[in-house]
Parts: sequence; structure tokens; C-alpha cells
Amino acid sequence: MTPTYRAAANTLRTAARPTLSLRAPFIARVQAARCISEEAPRKVSPDDPPSGEAGRKSPQNLTRTEEGASGGQPKHQPDYNVAADYRTSNFSPVPMRVMDGSEPGIDTPAAVLSGAPMDLQARTVRIYRPAKTPTQSGTWHGHHWRMDWDVLSKGHRWENPLMGWQSSADFMQGTHLNFNNKEDAINFATKQGYEYFVQEPNERKMIPKAYATQFVYQAKKLKEVRTK
Amino acid sequence: MVINPTYLAVRTRSSRSFDDARKRVITSYREWLRAAPEVQSMYSLNMPVSAIRTKIRQEFERHRYVSQLKTVDVLLFNSHQEYQETLNFWKQLTHVLKYFRMEEDPKAKLPKTFIQGFLEGRN
Repeated sequence: MTPTYRAAANTLRTAARPTLSLRAPFIARVQAARCISEEAPRKVSPDDPPSGEAGRKSPQNLTRTEEGASGGQPKHQPDYNVAADYRTSNFSPVPMRVMDGSEPGIDTPAAVLSGAPMDLQARTVRIYRPAKTPTQSGTWHGHHWRMDWDVLSKGHRWENPLMGWQSSADFMQGTHLNFNNKEDAINFATKQGYEYFVQEPNERKMIPKAYATQFVYQAKKLKEVRTK
Repeated sequence: MVINPTYLAVRTRSSRSFDDARKRVITSYREWLRAAPEVQSMYSLNMPVSAIRTKIRQEFERHRYVSQLKTVDVLLFNSHQEYQETLNFWKQLTHVLKYFRMEEDPKAKLPKTFIQGFLEGRN
């Protein structure tokens, strides 16, 4: 038995054993609990744990939590143990979590199905309303919501050594996605597994003014404006 | 006029339940495992058959915790599509080797610790 085959055989055996760790999603834990009552776990080889351990766990010990397969992982730390895909380069950031299809609130786990690189789930996305052009008074182009990718720290831009052109390893640079409202943008980002933050727009404060308010009665001493 | 389907073509179907999907996944996995020596000889890969089987296992494990039946259906379709393309020799060496990029290319790995990521500038 070569070492790789033995490792694969061990993982197969651990898959057959009922999984009650919090790393497995809720549905797998419930099905595993059903399996405990049906079949008694046997020792297949000396590598297996003693069979009394699995027998002591009962379905009543299951905690009904709605977590995904990431279980009790801290969500703000980069996950260095994630299985990278073939598009990872030496500029790719480390993702915090990679969508694996077990998230309960998402209808279409597009990150699993779309075939997009895993780097996109590592990069933060900004959802904002672009400001109106300050040189003009018109507010066109300022009503939609835009999704923009934060720049990479290292591979963002460098000078081509031959011609001095601007080279980049960032395939999302210069890409915008436009949406009609904020909820559409947030749903898209959740579906694709992007880390996002929403930047609320700075709304212009229009104070309605009338010339006649200067002549309204005031109980206090009037302000004297010297015009000379 | 009769249309002759290509070798390994399969009619599209949806899984009736999770048990049905489970059987289909395991059948697909077994087909891949049995095809591993043939893939090695067809594409003249310089790695043992066990390495190919480990990679097959890794790709299946990537989607182990999918909880929706429709997603599982699409993944099964993709798996069978890759299987047909590989065994019909429609792929080229580059398409097969892209699955082994993490092992072959030293630049394609993610950093293992915080300090390594910090020094590389990508965290």
C-alpha cells in the first residue's frame, strides 16, 4: 500500500464514519445521525478509532445550528488551508472563505457553478453610487449603483521593462458593473461569493430658500447689515 | 435519419432526490477512477496513476458540502462533460495539466502562514 493510497483509504473511511463535527453542514449531520442508529461502526483496520467512541454519540447531542461547512472558523481571518484552483498566481490574495454550496441563504451558489477564479472571492468589492460630475450641474449618471474591485497590493501595476508601458496582473482593473439599486448589487455580490462593502452616497442637501423669509417678523433684535 | 451520438454521450437528466444524486456522484467517481490509467497513457503524463486519482478525489472533495440538488446536478453534468472530453481525446495536454498546476508551478501556491503572505505582499 503506497502512502498516497493509504491516505486516500483513510479519508474514505473517515467519510463512512458518521460526521458529527461542526465542520459538516446541518444536513450531513442529521443524515449521519440516522446512520448511527442503522449500522454499528466496525473496526476495519488498527488505524480506526475504537468503535465505542462513535457509539456513545447519540442523535440527541446534535446541535441545530445553521452554519455552513466552515463551522466555527473565524470569519475575519484569511483561510490559508483553502484548496486553491489552477488560476492562482503569485499575486492572488488569500481568501477569507470560499463558497462551497452549503450556505443556507443563497438560492444560486454562482461561485461554485460559474467557473470563475477563486481570486475573485478573495478580493473586496465596493458598491457605491458614483458622484455627479462636479464641473456641471446635471445629475445624470448619478442614479445607478456601481460595483468596483479594490486594487491588488502587488500586481496592480508596474512598468514594462522593454517599452515602459503600464502592465498589470489585475484582470478586474477597469471593470465596473452597474445596477439599478443597492439590493440588486448586494444580491449579486452574495451570489458570487464576493466580499463587499457598501458606501452610502453623499446626498446633496437642498435647502429651499425664499426672498420673503428675510422680512418675516422676529421677536429679537434685527441684524443690521451695513452695505456701505 | 438516425443521429448517432458520440462515444460516452449521456442524456441530460435531473436527480430525483439526494440519494439518487449520491448514487450518480459515486458512479461518476468510479468511472473517473477506472479511467485514470487510460488518461495517463493517452496524454503521456509523467506522474503515477495514484497522483491522478488523488487529483480526482481532490476535485470531488471540493464540492462535498453542496446542499442544493440543482447545484449537484450541474456539477454532475460538468463532471461527465470533462470525462467525455478527456477520454475522447478532445483535450490537449495543456488542458489536462492545468489541474496539476499547483503541484508543478512553484509560483501558483497560496502562502501558508501570515508572515509569508505579509512578506509577499498579498494578505
